[in-house]
Amino acid sequence: MQYALYNRMTRANSRMMYGVCVAFTAAILLLLILVTGYLISIGIGSITLDFFRKLPIPNGMEGYPGGLKNGLVGTGILIALASAIGIPVGMLAGIYLSEYSANSLLATPTRFICDVLSGVPSIVVGILGYELVVRPIGHHNGYAGAAALAFIMVPIIARTTEEMLRLVPNSYREASIALGATKARTIMKVVVPAATGSIITGVMLAVARVAGETAPLLFTALGSRLLTTNPAEPFPSLTREIFELARGPEPAQHRLAWAGILVLIALIFVLNLTVRFFSQSVRGRVAHA
Amino acid sequence: MTQASIGPVMEYLTPRPAPPARPSLIRAQRRLGSDAILKALARAAAVTIILMLASLVVVLARAAVPSIKAFGFKFLVSSEWRPNPLETPKLTSDGSPIIEDGETVMEVQPPVFGALPVMFGTAVSSALALILAVPLSVGAALFLVRISPKVLKGPISFLIEFLAAIPSIAYGIWGLFVLAPLLQSHIEPACRWAFERMGSPAALSWLFIEKISLPGGETITRDIPMAGRDMLCGGIVLAIMILPIITAISRDVLKSVPRAQIEGTVALGATWWQSSREMLRYSRSGLFGAVMLGLARAAGETMAITMVIGNNNQIRPSVFAPAQTMSSLLANEFAEASLEIHRSALTEVALILLVMSLGFNIVARYLVVGKSGGRTAAAH
Amino acid sequence: MNNLIRHVLLAVVALSAAVASADVRLQGAGATFPNPLYQRWVAEYQKAHPDVKIDYQSIGSGGGVKNISEKTVDFAGSDAPLNKKEIEAMGGPDKIVQVPSCAGGVVPAYNLPGVKQELKFTGAIIADIYMGRINKWNDPRLAQLNAGVTLPSLPITPAYRTDGSGTTFVFTNYLATQSKPFVATIGTGKQVKWPLGQGGKGNEGVAQVIEQTPGAIGYIEQNYADKNHIAYGLVQNKSGKFVKASPKTVSNAGSGAASALKGTVLAADIWNQSGPEAYPIASFTYLIVYRDLGNIKSKEQAQALTDYLWWATHDGQQFAEDLDYAPLAKAVQEKVDGALKELNYQGEPIAVQASARQSRP
Repeated sequence: MQYALYNRMTRANSRMMYGVCVAFTAAILLLLILVTGYLISIGIGSITLDFFRKLPIPNGMEGYPGGLKNGLVGTGILIALASAIGIPVGMLAGIYLSEYSANSLLATPTRFICDVLSGVPSIVVGILGYELVVRPIGHHNGYAGAAALAFIMVPIIARTTEEMLRLVPNSYREASIALGATKARTIMKVVVPAATGSIITGVMLAVARVAGETAPLLFTALGSRLLTTNPAEPFPSLTREIFELARGPEPAQHRLAWAGILVLIALIFVLNLTVRFFSQSVRGRVAHA
Repeated sequence: MTQASIGPVMEYLTPRPAPPARPSLIRAQRRLGSDAILKALARAAAVTIILMLASLVVVLARAAVPSIKAFGFKFLVSSEWRPNPLETPKLTSDGSPIIEDGETVMEVQPPVFGALPVMFGTAVSSALALILAVPLSVGAALFLVRISPKVLKGPISFLIEFLAAIPSIAYGIWGLFVLAPLLQSHIEPACRWAFERMGSPAALSWLFIEKISLPGGETITRDIPMAGRDMLCGGIVLAIMILPIITAISRDVLKSVPRAQIEGTVALGATWWQSSREMLRYSRSGLFGAVMLGLARAAGETMAITMVIGNNNQIRPSVFAPAQTMSSLLANEFAEASLEIHRSALTEVALILLVMSLGFNIVARYLVVGKSGGRTAAAH
Repeated sequence: MNNLIRHVLLAVVALSAAVASADVRLQGAGATFPNPLYQRWVAEYQKAHPDVKIDYQSIGSGGGVKNISEKTVDFAGSDAPLNKKEIEAMGGPDKIVQVPSCAGGVVPAYNLPGVKQELKFTGAIIADIYMGRINKWNDPRLAQLNAGVTLPSLPITPAYRTDGSGTTFVFTNYLATQSKPFVATIGTGKQVKWPLGQGGKGNEGVAQVIEQTPGAIGYIEQNYADKNHIAYGLVQNKSGKFVKASPKTVSNAGSGAASALKGTVLAADIWNQSGPEAYPIASFTYLIVYRDLGNIKSKEQAQALTDYLWWATHDGQQFAEDLDYAPLAKAVQEKVDGALKELNYQGEPIAVQASARQSRP
C-alpha cells in the first residue's frame, strides 16, 4: 500500500476512534441521565406528604395507598443499629491496619480480606445473617438485618479509616511521643482527631451503600406493614417495602414505590455529594451489590 | 523517625527509673495499660474481620453439606430443579403405566436439585453485560485520561460514580417499568421483523424459535414469545450497573501508565489511536482485572436482575427467553424453602456464588494491584 | 459455642421485648390468595382495637406453612390444607387448629389487547396451554370454543407462580381432574415444574406479568384480576356450563363442603363440584394456628389472636364480597366455631368475646 494512503487511513482511523471514545463517554452520561431522570421524574410525580406520615393502607380503604412511614423509620433504625456495630469495629480495624501493622502478621491478611469482603454478593451476606441470627432466635428480626448490614459496612469503614489515618503526617505522632504521650493517647487524641473529617466521609460512604441494600434484608429482617421500633420483631425497611410494592399489579402501590426510590436516591446523592466535597481521595472505594 | 521506629522508641522510653516524686498522669496511664487495651481492641477488630470471612465460608459450607451429600457432583451438571415431590405414574419396564383396580399406581419422586440452569443464567447474563459494558467503559476511561479537558475530569468522574451509587433496586424498577416494556413492545418485535425479513436464516433461528421437550416426551417447536423480561433485559441492566466500576478502575489503571511510554510512541510518529492502543496494551493486565471486577459485580447482583429476568429456571439458548440466575434464585426461593434439603441446595448455590465471586475478586485484585506493586487508588 | 451465641441472642431479644411498646403484636404470614381481604381485616380490626397490632406478610402458602411449623409466626394462611407430612411436622392433628376463613375463585386471566369479549375455556384447554400443546391464541380449539371472537395470532405466554403457592395447588389439582396427560407430565402441588412461560412471585407477581405481557395468560385469584382490570374468562364446570367466577358461584361450589369438615383440622376441596352454577376452580383458604397457643409470648396475645380469629370468621365476613371473596356458609361457620373453641393457652381454654359467642350445640 502506498505510504501516503496508509498515513491518511491511520490518521482517519485515529480520528474515528477519538470520536468513538467521546461518543462512548457521552453514551454513558446519557444512560445516567435516562435512568436517574426517569426515576427522579416519576418519584417527584408520586411523592406526597402522606408518604412520610402514613403507613401502608390496603386497597378499598380510605387513604389508599397510604405511605411508607414504616419503611423510613425502619431503615433509619437499621442503619443506626448497623453503625453501632460497624463503626467501632471498622474504625478499630482501621486503626490497627494503620498504626499497628508494622511488625504484624495480621495486617496483610486483614487488609486483603477487607478488600475481598467488599466483593461478596450481599445476598450471600443475607444468608449468613439468616443462619447465624434468625435461626437461633427463631423468627425474622431486625437485629439479623442490622448484623447483615454491619457485615457490609465494616470492611468499607476499616479501609477508609486506614487510608485516612495514613495520610496524617508522622510529625504529629512524633511530636506527641516526644511530649511523653502513650501510643494509645497519641492515636486517640492526636492522630484520629486529625483525620476525623475524612473518617466521617468514609462512614458516610458506608451508610450510603448500606441504605440502598435490599438483598441482605430479604430473609433476615423480612419486613412489616406496621411501624415497628422493636428490632426483635420482623422489621420493615424502605428498600424491601419498595421491592414488595413494585412487584404487584396495582398502580397506586407502584407510585408509592417510586416515591420511596426518590427518597432513597436523594439521600444517597446528598451523602455522596458531601463526601465528594470533603474528600477527593475517598472516591472509588465503594460499590453496591 | 518513621512509623516503624515508634515502637522501639516506646520500648526505650518505658522501663525508665521513676523520676523524683511528681504525680504523673502519663505514668499512671502506662501502668493501667491503656496501650495494651487499645492494641488488644484493635487487634480484636482485625481478627474479627478475618473471622467474618471465615464464618461466611464455614457457615455456608456446613449448611450446604446435606445437599452435597445427597447430590454430589451431579448438582453442578444437572438441569432439574424441583423442590416438590412429584407423583408420577409407576411405569413398567416397557414404559406403560401400571393400573390396579382401575386406578393408575403412582409413585412419589423426591425433590431433586441441579444448579446448571442458574449457573448458565449467571454466566450468560454476566457475559452479555460485559460485552455491552467493556467497550463503553474502556472508551470512557480513555476519554478521561487522554481527551478530557482538566476541568471536565472531576465532574464526569463524579457523575459516572454516581451511577455506581444508585441502589440496585432503583435499577430494578427502571428495568421493570422502562426497559422491559420497551424491549417487549418495540425492540424485540423489530428484531423478529428483521429476522423474518431476512428469510428466517437457520443460523439465527435459535434466537427466535425454540424446541421444547415437554415432560411427557414430546417435542414442540414454537416461536419464542418475547415478553420483555428475559436474559437480554437482564444483561442490559447489568451492563449499566457495572459501567462505573470498570470505568473507574480502567481510568486509574490507564493513569498509572508512565508518560515516557506514551511519549515514546508519539515521538515515533504514532497517531492518537496508535498511542492509545499502546497504552491499552501496556496496562492490559490491569484492564483485565477491571473487567474481572465488573464480572464479579455482575455475577453477584441480585435485586435488579430478579425483577427483570423472568424467573424461569431452565436453560434456553435464546437471549429473548426468560432465565434465572443464582442470585435471583436465592432471592425468590430462600425465604420459603421449607424442606431442609431445599434450603441446603439453595445454600450450596450460594456457596458456589460466593466462591466464584471471591475467586474473581482475588484474581482481579492481583491483576490490578499486584503488577503495579503497591496500592494505587484503584485498589478496592 | 452455638449455645452461647443462642443465649446471648435470646438475652438481647428479651431486652428489646422489655423496652418494646405495650401494644399486643401478632404476626401472620402465608397465602397471597386472600391477601387483599386479610389486609382489609387487619386494618379494620385495628380500627376497632387500636392496641392490637397485626401484621400479615403475603409470602405464599408454602412460606406460611413453613413459618407456622417453625413457630416463627403466630398464625399462617394457606390455600392448600396441611398435608400429612406437614401435620406430622407440627405434632399431629390434635395439636393444630385449621379453619377456612373464606373461599375464592382462581380465574384464567389474560392480556389480549383488542379482544373485548370474555373468552370461554375448558380445563383441558387450559392444561394444554400450560403443557405447550396450544401455542397461539388463534388455535382452532380456542377459536371453536369462542366462535364470533377474532383471536389474534399472538403466541401464548403462560404465567405461573415461582413460589410455594396454594393457588398453584388448587389450580393443578383442578387441572388434574380435567387432563390425564397433565397429571403425568406436570403433576400437582404447591410448586411444580412448568415447562414454559414466565414466573412471578405471589398472586401479585403473576398479575403483574399478565398485565405487562400481551398474549399472557395466568392463574390468579379473582380479586387480583378484578381490581386491576385484567380480563378473565369463563370456565366450563362439571355440569357443562361456562361459569364466571364470583362470590355467588364460588359459594355454590362450597355448598356441600360442611359435611366434609371434621375435627379441628378442617379441610375440604371444592374444585370441580357438580351443580350448574358452581365455579369449577374454587377453593377455601385456611388460617392455621396451634391448638395450644402456649408458644405465643403472653396470655394477652393468645387472647387477642383468638378474638381476632373469631372476629375474622364472623364480623370480618361482611368485607368478603366486596373484595370478590365468598363468605363462609352458615353450616361451615358452625364447624369453624367448634374448632376455634378448642383453642387454649397452656391447657386453659380461651374464651372469646361473650357477644360473639354462639351457644354450643
